[in-house]
This record gives sequence, structure tokens and C-alpha cells, in this order.
Amino acid sequence: MNNVIGIVNLHADPEISPLTDNRPLGSFSFLGRYAFVDFPLSAFCNAGIETVGILVKDHLRSVMKHLGSMDAWVNNTKIGQEIVMYNEPAHLHPETNTDINNIRENDWVLYDSDASYILIAPSHIVGSIDVRPILAEHIKRKDKVTVVATRCLDARKEFLKESIISIGSSGYVEDVRDNDGTIEGPCLASLGIYVVNRTVLADMIHRYAPKNPTLSLDSLIYAVGRESGGTRPHVYIYDGFVRAIDSFKHYMDYSFELFDEANSKALFRPDWPIYTLTHDTPPAMYGKEAVVSNSFIANGAVVEGTVINSIIGRNVKVAKTAVVKDSIILSSSMIGDGAMVSNALVDKYAIITRSHKVTGTPNSPVYVAQGAIL
Amino acid sequence: MGIKIAAMILAGGKGTRLKALTRKTAKPAVGYGGKYRIIDFPLSNCANSGINHVAVLTQYESSDLNTYVGNGKNWGLNGVNSLTAVLTPKETEEGSNWYRGTADAIYQNLDWLDNLDPEYVLILSGDHIYATTYDGMLSRHREANAECTISVYQVPLEEASRFGILETDEDGVITAFKEKPKVPKSNLASMGIYIFNYKTLRAALIEDAKDEQSDHDFGKNIIPNLMAKGKKLVAYTYKGYWKDVGTIPSLHEANMDLLMSGDPNVNLFTIQGKNKIYTEDNHATPQYIGPIGTAKDSLINQGAVIRGEVDHCVISSDVYVDDGAKAINCVLMNGAHIKKGARVFDAIVGPDAVVEESEVINADRKEIILVTNGRNDK
Repeated sequence: MNNVIGIVNLHADPEISPLTDNRPLGSFSFLGRYAFVDFPLSAFCNAGIETVGILVKDHLRSVMKHLGSMDAWVNNTKIGQEIVMYNEPAHLHPETNTDINNIRENDWVLYDSDASYILIAPSHIVGSIDVRPILAEHIKRKDKVTVVATRCLDARKEFLKESIISIGSSGYVEDVRDNDGTIEGPCLASLGIYVVNRTVLADMIHRYAPKNPTLSLDSLIYAVGRESGGTRPHVYIYDGFVRAIDSFKHYMDYSFELFDEANSKALFRPDWPIYTLTHDTPPAMYGKEAVVSNSFIANGAVVEGTVINSIIGRNVKVAKTAVVKDSIILSSSMIGDGAMVSNALVDKYAIITRSHKVTGTPNSPVYVAQGAIL
Repeated sequence: MGIKIAAMILAGGKGTRLKALTRKTAKPAVGYGGKYRIIDFPLSNCANSGINHVAVLTQYESSDLNTYVGNGKNWGLNGVNSLTAVLTPKETEEGSNWYRGTADAIYQNLDWLDNLDPEYVLILSGDHIYATTYDGMLSRHREANAECTISVYQVPLEEASRFGILETDEDGVITAFKEKPKVPKSNLASMGIYIFNYKTLRAALIEDAKDEQSDHDFGKNIIPNLMAKGKKLVAYTYKGYWKDVGTIPSLHEANMDLLMSGDPNVNLFTIQGKNKIYTEDNHATPQYIGPIGTAKDSLINQGAVIRGEVDHCVISSDVYVDDGAKAINCVLMNGAHIKKGARVFDAIVGPDAVVEESEVINADRKEIILVTNGRNDK
């Protein structure tokens, strides 16, 4: 797929405070093993897309730490390339730190490439989305812009921050609305994944971006579609397993639902590996008195106590008489003897000391900040 | 000016006593510790010692091992000023030659060493399990002004007659070397790990190659010949965990040593940092323990799914222990599948081996056994 450039658009991911206060969602930990950016990067790699750009909005340090030498997601380390795209000038004018201005700052994508198509995906859409049939349909139909959407049963409960689109009989976008929480019944939710012909994107950006320095790619694509004679996006409906990580509660719920084998098999398919950065940590160690059930445990973890319905990250220690229930513990945290953690997200490097209790509820999980000592 | 030190890892042995585990792969490539292969240990040790020029000499069933070693990427030995080479027997103007012994393997690759022109050569075995750096041994070699330094391990005197035993004077200079002595006078067993001055090694190998009676073996020929010539050979006493696994029970035991209840000297969680062991990364999914699963006193790698019960086990990627299944005191290698209600005791369950539903294996627990898919073919 040398005629396609893959672009991960971290600008299009939601802010989920307090989770994303120090890093973008793209480099946030998932299931104790992945970062969300692994999903689009793996999709590009599995589809054989060799040239990949990563539009980084902010928190470059955190993104670079996860990407490492970047060869975890390329097929051929000479031909394949992953290019971090960062708009440094925009940091003086944060309102202009948009995906479009980032592409203009890194305009090799538009002008120095001979690729015909640009495939853009955010990182908060979790799925094993095979992008090859999407590209094939775009090419076969000779469309200029394709947007990937999925069927949403109740937009008040899922795809909370995605655009809700209506299509006409020919499959083109007729109307686009923000999901404001009032839309009832089944609808189509955009996944923020676009295929755009390179020259079409260059032309759109060239014509509109200079007039409006705060324009986002989403708005641009739909605005052009609304013009008379403008290019309307065609809609590709993806029916596979997909989730949008758009709130703290959804982050917890969408993690826990993967304990169910039917869900985990839908997400983790043998023909669609999800690649991530290796940390060379040893396998997880369980003590003699460990009680563990219905949980994901990452390598490098040492579990001597009780872990139920939880996700334990890399290098986490759960002491002998500690109890972790319905919680997610991110890497390198320690849960001390007699401590009790339930319905909580414990961020990295936190220490829950001896006999301390951290208790949330399923609808309102507690967040323990990175490095906190409780 | 050449480089300071090159390592030559001998990895050509068959490891016959590991039975079916080494039928299609060489012993250094056998899985260990849920995630590793045995050769990860010497290769990581080299990387952690700053020894960046490493050759792996392979012969028996070498394709899997050669592919695994590759360009040394898994151990970081692919950087600038680094070199990892897999050296297999080759066809030359004189014909084709298998490696006829440990010394002959190095002799046949003297060209490779000449190109690097190292001051010292470290000879290692590809099938030893130990996490260390060779810094102390090299310092000992240089400070003693020796021509060859042999790493030794203190074994119980009553077992010494099973090893190559060194006798030393009070300065650690080797005064005698005896292969499996009936009445051992020392408990210093050679580990088969040597540092040579390259010039000394080169001359000794060329001389040995001319000797048609020689077994072309370091222990039997090269070391005794150097002693006879009055060269200065010193011993370096290695302290810490070290295992040469040769049999199914000893491979099982070495795995169990890694557990929390095992040998604290080989705890993978405490040998992090400068002795960290590196290995190939796989793309396994997170490890999952099921609703009625239990895992106690075990080491479990990513990609494993435990829906049954495991106790005192070392478990690799893509292992599946189904509902109601039980594995006690087992090593479950990559892709092993213990089906519903099956029970396995005191065993190494080989790669991709399947234990059928409700099957019970080794319930009388008299010895450690190997379970492979061909177990019923015998």
C-alpha cells in the first residue's frame, strides 16, 4: 500500500480529565498492556501502509516515550516510516493548535508525496478495523472523501463525542450533528476515520484554512460537503466491534467488558495483531496466597494478594493481604498490605499504603493521581 | 587497532537428553521461564557487559536458532559498533566441514575473529542459565596477567567427580585440570566459560587442528595443552545462580527456581537493572485469569488464559488452561492447551501440546515427565 499515507490524528481525541491532564489519550494505558495509539498504528501496519504520520497535539514527551524508536509498528524498517507531526509555532497561539494547521506545518503529506490517498484515524476508537476494504471501496467508487461510521443503538449512551450523521439513499452524508445527548433511537455515529484523496485534501486546506485558523479537519470536511457543488463524503458503515473511549466511566466499562471472552475475541483477532512497545519485563509472578479471578494481569506485576474483576498494569505490586476489586491499577503502582481498593483507577507510580481504603462506586469510580501516596 | 573483546557463543549441541523438546530445535533455543529461550541469558549477559561483538556458532537443527538470533536486535546488539553474527559450518576450498568439537568450531571461524582483531575472546556456552556481567572475570584475567581465565563454580565435593575439576594454588593459578576425576582434590568445577588472549587462543587452535588424535575440545585438548606448555591459566570463582540444564527434570527444576518459592538468586524481578534479561517480543494479548480460575505460586506470561487452576507452574504465551482443568508443578510451554477437566502433574508440557478433556497425566507423581503431542505414538 505505497499509495496510501496513514495519519493518526491525536487532535481528534477527547480530553478526559483528569486522565489526560498529563498525557494525551493516545498514550494512555489500556488493559495494562497497550496505549490507545497502538490501535490505529497496528491497523496501518496490518494493512501494509508503509508511510505513517502521527499528528501530535500536545504532551509530546508522553507520546515520544511510547513510540520509542517507532519500529514496533512498521513492516519494513527501511521502507516503512513513522513521522511525528508537531506544530510547535501553534503553542504560542493555542487556539490555532488544530489538526489542519499541524498538517500545514508538516505539509510533506500534501505536497512532497506521490501517495494518492490519505487515511486519517483518531486513537480513541478501539477496534480491530481492517482498513483495506474501506480503501478498496473508496477507490472502486472513485469517491474523493469517505467517512467511516458505525451503527449506534443509543447515542445517549455511546459515541458521546462523535458526530451523528444522516445519509441519503446514495450513501452520501446529508446531515451532520454533534452528539448533544438528545438524539434518540438508532443512528449512525462517525468514527472520525476518513479516506481523502491527497490532492483533494490539499485543495480543501489551501482554499479554506488560511481564512479560518481555528478550523478542524472534521468541520472542514463537512463544510465542503455542504457547499453547492462541493465534495460530499461517502459513508462506509463498519459493523465490527468498536468502542469510542470518550469518558472516564466508558474507559472503565470498556476495559472491564473485555473480561467476557465473546468481546475479547471480537477485539483481539488472530489475523489482526495489536502491536505495542516492549518493556522486557518478566512474566507476572503470583505468590502462594494469591487469589485472582476475572482479571487481566500485565507482565512485570507481582501479585501476592487478592485481585478480582480488575486490571493490573506492568510492574504493579499487590501485597499479601491487599485487596483490589473492580479497579484498574496503572503501571508501577503499589498496593500495600491490608489496603483495599475498589471501583478505582489508580494512576502510575501511586502508593496505597498499609490498610488504606480507596472506595468508589461502579457509576462513580475514584481516580488516584499519578505518584499519589495515600 | 582491533576491538577489546569478542564473545563466541557455542550453540551447536543437540541436547539429546531433552528428548522431543530438541527434536526440531537446538537446546539453546528451548523455551524457558515462560517468556525466554535459554540463549537469551548468555546474549543478555554479553549486552549487559558492553560486549558488542558476538558470534553464535550453531550446527544441530540450526534454522530456528539462527532465525531467532538474527541480527541481535532482541538484545540491542544491532547498534553502531555492534555486530551479531550467526556462524554455521560452511563449505570451503578444502571441502565442507561440520564442527568437530568446541575448539574446532572456533578454529573454523578464525577468519571472522582475525577481521575483528580482538585483544580478548570470551568463549561461552549457549545453554547455560545465569544472569551476570563478565566484567569481574575480565578484570581478574587482566589483573592476573593470565593467558586464559576459566570461570569455575563451587560444587559439593561429593559431586565433584561428575565435572571437569580445577586445582589451584593460593593465588588462584591453575595447577591441574582433571576431567571427571575419581578422587577429586578440589570442588572447583569448570563452567566451560573462558577468556583467552586472542593471540594465545589463535596459536593453540591452529596447533590443535593439526593433531589428528585430538577431539578438538576445549576441556579435553586446548586447556591441557596450554597447561603442558606452562602458560598462565587462572580460575575465576563465579558466585550466584548458574545452571547447565541437560535433562527434562533439570529443565523443570530450573523453571521452578524462578518462582517466588524458588531460588532467590535467580528471581527475574530482582535481577533487573544491569543484569536484565532481554528476549523476543511477541504480540500476545493481555494475560487473563478467569472467573473461577486460580493462579498460585506461578510465573505466567502475557497471552496466557487461565480459566482453570494452576499452582507452582511456569506458563508461556498462548497457553490455554480451560474450565476445571488443573496443572500442578508444571511447565506449560508456548501454545500448550489443557482442555476442560484435564489434570497434569509434575510435567513439562511441550510447545503446542494438547491435553485432552478429562485426561489425567502423571497422577502418581513419581518423576518429572515430558508431555508432547506424539506421546501416544511410542
